[in-house]
Amino acid sequence: MSEQTLVDVQDLVIEFDTPKGRVRVVDGVSFSVSPGEVLGILGESGSGKTMSTQAILGLIGGYPGVMGGQINLNDQGVTYELLKDLPSFISERRGQPEKNERAWRKHRYAQMKKLWGRAITSIFQNPRRSLDPLMTVGQQVKESIQARESHKDALERLNDQAQTEEALEWLAKVQMVDPARVYHSYPHELSGGMCQRAMIAVALACKPSILVADEPTTGLDATVRAQIVHLLQDLIKAEQCAMLYITHDIREMLYLADRVIVMRHGKVLEQVSANDLKEHALERHEYTQVLLDAAGMIGAHDE
Amino acid sequence: MTGQSTGQSTRQSTWYSTWYSTWHSAWKEQPLSFKLSSIIVVLVLCFGVINPFISYDPVLDVELSRRDLAPSWEYWMGTDGQGRSVALRLFKGIEAFFFPGLIAGLFAAFVGGVLGALCGYFGGWIGRSLSAVLELIDTLPRMVFLVLICTIFPPSILLISIISSVLFIPSIATIIRRKVEALGAEDYILAHVAHGFHPLKIISYHILWLQCRALLTRQMIFVFSYVLFIETALSYLGDYGVQEPYPSWGNMVAQSRISAVAWPWALPALAIIITIAALLAFGDGIARREEEVKR
Repeated sequence: MSEQTLVDVQDLVIEFDTPKGRVRVVDGVSFSVSPGEVLGILGESGSGKTMSTQAILGLIGGYPGVMGGQINLNDQGVTYELLKDLPSFISERRGQPEKNERAWRKHRYAQMKKLWGRAITSIFQNPRRSLDPLMTVGQQVKESIQARESHKDALERLNDQAQTEEALEWLAKVQMVDPARVYHSYPHELSGGMCQRAMIAVALACKPSILVADEPTTGLDATVRAQIVHLLQDLIKAEQCAMLYITHDIREMLYLADRVIVMRHGKVLEQVSANDLKEHALERHEYTQVLLDAAGMIGAHDE
Repeated sequence: MTGQSTGQSTRQSTWYSTWYSTWHSAWKEQPLSFKLSSIIVVLVLCFGVINPFISYDPVLDVELSRRDLAPSWEYWMGTDGQGRSVALRLFKGIEAFFFPGLIAGLFAAFVGGVLGALCGYFGGWIGRSLSAVLELIDTLPRMVFLVLICTIFPPSILLISIISSVLFIPSIATIIRRKVEALGAEDYILAHVAHGFHPLKIISYHILWLQCRALLTRQMIFVFSYVLFIETALSYLGDYGVQEPYPSWGNMVAQSRISAVAWPWALPALAIIITIAALLAFGDGIARREEEVKR
């Protein structure tokens, strides 16, 4: 892994136990993200795109979950090998590999508590459900500023007043119409689009070096979607933050992403630059062409 | 829109202002039963707080020449079988259950909340063994167990209230554990984790305080009213509650057995029924309101 890579995933394998036996959801996925880059992960539902990013975030709760591979996360020049000790938590039982879930969770928490928020953070699909329903939006932004400040020395921390002001600034940065009013509103008083803006503010206020956006525009209507995508692009550039953007919408992908990986059935089919995807659509993998065709984008470049 | 115009923050929202707004919106929109019940609860609260500052002397003043008087200007609610003012005894009787009930309610809600959160958060063998102990306590029939305790130890309302609060801890802990387990899978709790919040803060502030506050308040009020109920029952069953001559609503009902006329039980009994009904309706109203706010 070079100095210039933020996240490097090698041969990631994720399995789950279901009533019908063990299912491999992610099967040998590899990709990497450089600072400031936007990597898009494209694929249908169930292709394992969310699972791969949840594995990087350390949020997979199920059993057994992550079973193999390497995830290297770079935080301010230091590289953390997140899955380095994983094999010592896996034992053999009746011919099946089995993981000591509790010990692994503890170990992973000890590793991730320094990285959550600072190195990597996430925004989720459903904006309403990813904001705390019982706290005002402003308080939530302020809380993530507080969490960020708590990593610093006591002398360098911002005081309460400054944190409130910064929270208001963040609400203005995500182009809320009336930040002072929104600051004191609860999530149920806001529209879906406003909730997603608030969520972006909460996530970026942590100042992460990489943001995982897991289908942030699903469930929003077309005009709001466009606004959110533009907003994300502007903010990512302004904050010099890398982004892992997950979607099944190829148009958003072409607009936002620098590089795109296409996933299906837990495997990476191909890895292309967004430009290639646009210009040389017919040289792409069969499945990618199906996706492009579904969005009505192949014919346009053919003629 | 710009940084300057939003620089000065408007109203700060603090814990008491959220409580106030919860209460205020509850007041505006709730039915008449909630308004009545909260008036009664506030009255009981005020009387309970000023009670210890008032002397016992007039309450204990036995004068057989004026026994069983009908209500008059001097004795609003008449006098009992030993010539003591029923109104004063009713008022002073609040002291018998007020502080024990408060202690029991707070203790049960606090310990139940913490244990429930621990069970729900840790799962595994810690959670399982804690739940097993709690379920064991939950199988004890409350009333019978309390009568048993009263026959062993000298009667003391404080002991009764502590025991009954311990008997309520399992049910509170179970409610909280389910809530914590359900919330653990919520997107926003995952988001809090991903943003790097301390797990202790998530569990104590975001889950226990913000989400379970209403539930715990309602359970606390329930335990409070149970102490009043159990004191009445134990006084009537076998003088296990507050001892004569000190007044409690329970032993006032019990004492009406020796009265020469038929009605003295009615006033304390009515006070007990109204207070318990009001407490339960008040707790439900608060809890329902908070549920509505969440949506």
